[in-house]
Amino acid sequence: METLLATFVSGLVLAALYALMASGLSLIWTTIGVFNFAHGALMMVGAFVAWTVSEVGGFGLWPGLIAGVATTTVLGVIIEYLLIRPFYGQRNMVLITVMTTLAAMIILEKSAQIIWGARLKQLPRMIEGDISISGAVISAHEALIVVLAPLILIALWQFTNRTPVGRSLRAVGQNQEAAALLGINVPLTFALAFGLGAALAGLTGVLLGGIRFITPSLGSEPLIKAMIVVIFGGLGSLGATVGAALVIGMAEAFLVLTLGLYWTPFAIFLGLIAVLVLRPNGLFGRS
Amino acid sequence: MSILRIEGIGGGYGSVTVLRDITLTLETGENLGLFGPNGHGKTTLLRMTSGLMRPSSGTIQFDGRDITGASPSKIVTSGLVHTQQGNTLFGDMGVAETLEMAAFTKRARAGATARLEKVYALFPRLAERRKQKTRTLSGGERQMLSIGSALMCAPRLLVLDEPTLGLSPRLKEELTEALIEISNSVPLMVVEQDVELLLAVTDRQVLVEHGEIVREITATNTPDHAEIVAMYFGAQA
Ligand SMILES: Nc1ncnc2c1ncn2[C@@H]1O[C@H](COP(=O)(O)OP(=O)(O)OP(=O)(O)O)[C@@H](O)[C@H]1O
Ligand SMILES: [Mg+2]
Repeated sequence: METLLATFVSGLVLAALYALMASGLSLIWTTIGVFNFAHGALMMVGAFVAWTVSEVGGFGLWPGLIAGVATTTVLGVIIEYLLIRPFYGQRNMVLITVMTTLAAMIILEKSAQIIWGARLKQLPRMIEGDISISGAVISAHEALIVVLAPLILIALWQFTNRTPVGRSLRAVGQNQEAAALLGINVPLTFALAFGLGAALAGLTGVLLGGIRFITPSLGSEPLIKAMIVVIFGGLGSLGATVGAALVIGMAEAFLVLTLGLYWTPFAIFLGLIAVLVLRPNGLFGRS
Repeated sequence: MSILRIEGIGGGYGSVTVLRDITLTLETGENLGLFGPNGHGKTTLLRMTSGLMRPSSGTIQFDGRDITGASPSKIVTSGLVHTQQGNTLFGDMGVAETLEMAAFTKRARAGATARLEKVYALFPRLAERRKQKTRTLSGGERQMLSIGSALMCAPRLLVLDEPTLGLSPRLKEELTEALIEISNSVPLMVVEQDVELLLAVTDRQVLVEHGEIVREITATNTPDHAEIVAMYFGAQA
């Protein structure tokens, strides 16, 4: 019973992290039609910058968090400007940007290797201490992630559905010309979407840096999971992404318990393929 | 004083020239109609006017200011609003959400609530379907939403591309009434295949053929129906 509860809780933590990552990816995908392979590397940069400001600079974790998110936001806008913008309107833009964002990933990871070295680093936790829920113990930091993720996602939903600028992101994603003819500045909207997605990546990275060791490849394994979540959810609405994150997070936690760490990724990919065969538009996608 | 002055516009897609040397002026207080055979450049002309395409030659002035080559969002901000032919709008958005969002520019946001009421009064069908997703609207309803969105932009000149394309005669009549009412407060430039509608809504009509304006119809030289049909089929009028 206690193991089940503990597994459930760790599934929740995974789901929260995946949902945060996937929401950034899917925001960029739905607005611009680009799959950002540099998303994981941006998470890593966020964690490293936060570590530098917080631990090396001695400014504390919260200024570190702000610096990490600010840095990835700026990097996101730069990536959009240099590596995406030149290819708008080209017929094979999706393929070209797979290559350019992969290039960005490699550049960021190698730069991190040069700047921060290979030694393992870890961020302090946002909140110290542990929380025990009827026998299952998680750190307060993990509990914070589970609480924070839904709040951020609700805020993101409110932004894209209730504010003029947020709505303009969705409008551009659905019909660029019609959006432009309402007075929406499409290039600016692209930059905004990329910056916002990168900010979410940075935030996730800082949260992750309190659980795992920070290395230049911190983001690569989570990126693959987040991609599975986005595809599983059907590449679209925030609700579907959250649902898919819950399914994947829980599945992973319980598969690790039953199948072990080694076979879990295999089982998850098998599940993804099965879902895509049966429901080509994803688990929650519209057919 | 002319509100729109198009001078010597030419251009097309890549190496394909669609428009050659089009000159048009829209005087304040008049509504202009454009018609002509399929594929002869009417839509292309409107796209250049609203900034979706850059002309390779010529200039466009709106309200005395040069807007040649300006971005669509700049042009909308200045008040020239273009509704596209067969616009699918935003499939996943609802009717009310689309209309609210359409008042996007600063100028449009002032007085948006009153304008929304006017749009609902003009198109009661939209008011009945506030929550419905655009992708599930009928062709006629989508056309109304398209025009309604354009009105939400607070147009000072409304440019319409085939507003009654594919609509039933009854709906066409409804839309004609709506356009006449709109033209009381906003000058219109309308591309339309239905010449009856053009004659009812606009004061002056021009025939676009092979990317050129080949004929102009005003109240003093109105040709009869047979002549207009002849123009369409390219016979000597
Ligand atoms: N994106 C494009 N690329 C290449 N050629 C195009 C493109 N869009 C239109 N054309 C061509 O330009 C010409 C003029 O098209 P346009 O849409 O302006 O005609 P139109 O007068 O509006 O026709 P219709 O009455 O059928 O709407 C056509 O020959 C068309 O095939
Ligand atoms: Mg046309």
